[in-house]
Amino acid sequence: MHELSLAQGLLEQLDELARRHHADQILRVEVAIGREAGIVTDSFVFGFNAIKKTLPSTRTTILAVTATGGRDLVLGRVEMECDDHG
Amino acid sequence: MCDSCGCHIREDDGGSGQDRRKIVDLHKSLLAANREQAMENRHHIEAMGAVALNLISSPGSGKTTLLEQTIGRLADRLRIGVIEGDIETERDADRIRKKGIPVVQLTTGGACHLDAPLVHRGLHDLEEQARRAGMDGLDLLFIENVGNLVCPATFDLGEHARVVLVSVPEGSDKPAKYPATFAWAHLFVISKTDLLPHFDFSIAEARREALALNPDLRILELAATTGTGMAAWTAFLEELVAAGQCRRNSSPLSATT
Repeated sequence: MHELSLAQGLLEQLDELARRHHADQILRVEVAIGREAGIVTDSFVFGFNAIKKTLPSTRTTILAVTATGGRDLVLGRVEMECDDHG
Repeated sequence: MCDSCGCHIREDDGGSGQDRRKIVDLHKSLLAANREQAMENRHHIEAMGAVALNLISSPGSGKTTLLEQTIGRLADRLRIGVIEGDIETERDADRIRKKGIPVVQLTTGGACHLDAPLVHRGLHDLEEQARRAGMDGLDLLFIENVGNLVCPATFDLGEHARVVLVSVPEGSDKPAKYPATFAWAHLFVISKTDLLPHFDFSIAEARREALALNPDLRILELAATTGTGMAAWTAFLEELVAAGQCRRNSSPLSATT
């Protein structure tokens, strides 16, 4: 199911972001899903929540999805909590 | 930590938790990696001298049969290659192999669609096959996607034209039911039209609903096994090849090659 592979890709990007910003936790992430992207939002969210616990930085990440026009999936605002070096 | 809403309040925090929060606005496409690879694929295909078509349909619509019949009609004047996509087996590639043209089978092992990175690997294999067959490039590359009317719509493979097939037995409501697939196609092929007397398929409904989604969509009706409509299909392919050659010849780079 490609929603799951897209969720996996998102997870990897968030983990990389956390490393770059010295963040302990990615708290919240906003993703805009185009209505013509052919992506089932519920499946994407379900897949993300199913696998987010596999990485320490995304264990409790809240995924907020908004519907938008077009055929893309866009990662928007990411809120993170930095460690003592961040 | 609150698991349900993400607030990060620790009892021993002492109020310093908010200072460690950082917000980053990225605006980054999650499909960007596939899109970038698709662009590379497109350039690679053009460097081979070819134009590529991505054939999308449900299983059993007649994609492979259409390719077999097309090869029979065009292989004497166009250099054709095929990349086959399936979850398992080499059966479709074996059918094309019997027609004596270079073909690569990509098996996804479970993924419901081809994506650009997989096609990238297939292009290298196909080039090698064409080279061994003594071909100095290709004119026409068919990428037959995994049988699925839903998921392939999301993934650009690097094609120049996206073709959606619906066969008569499947019903004329398919454009309405699968809008993303039809909205982003260049050509809609209604296949197995020889079966129209036996099924309740409305050509008018299929055309109307497809054009409502995509007014620029070209539509052909054909029956690959009887030959009806195949002349218009091969004319479309030859037009695509000619447009590709024209594009290459008028490119600023052509002066350096």
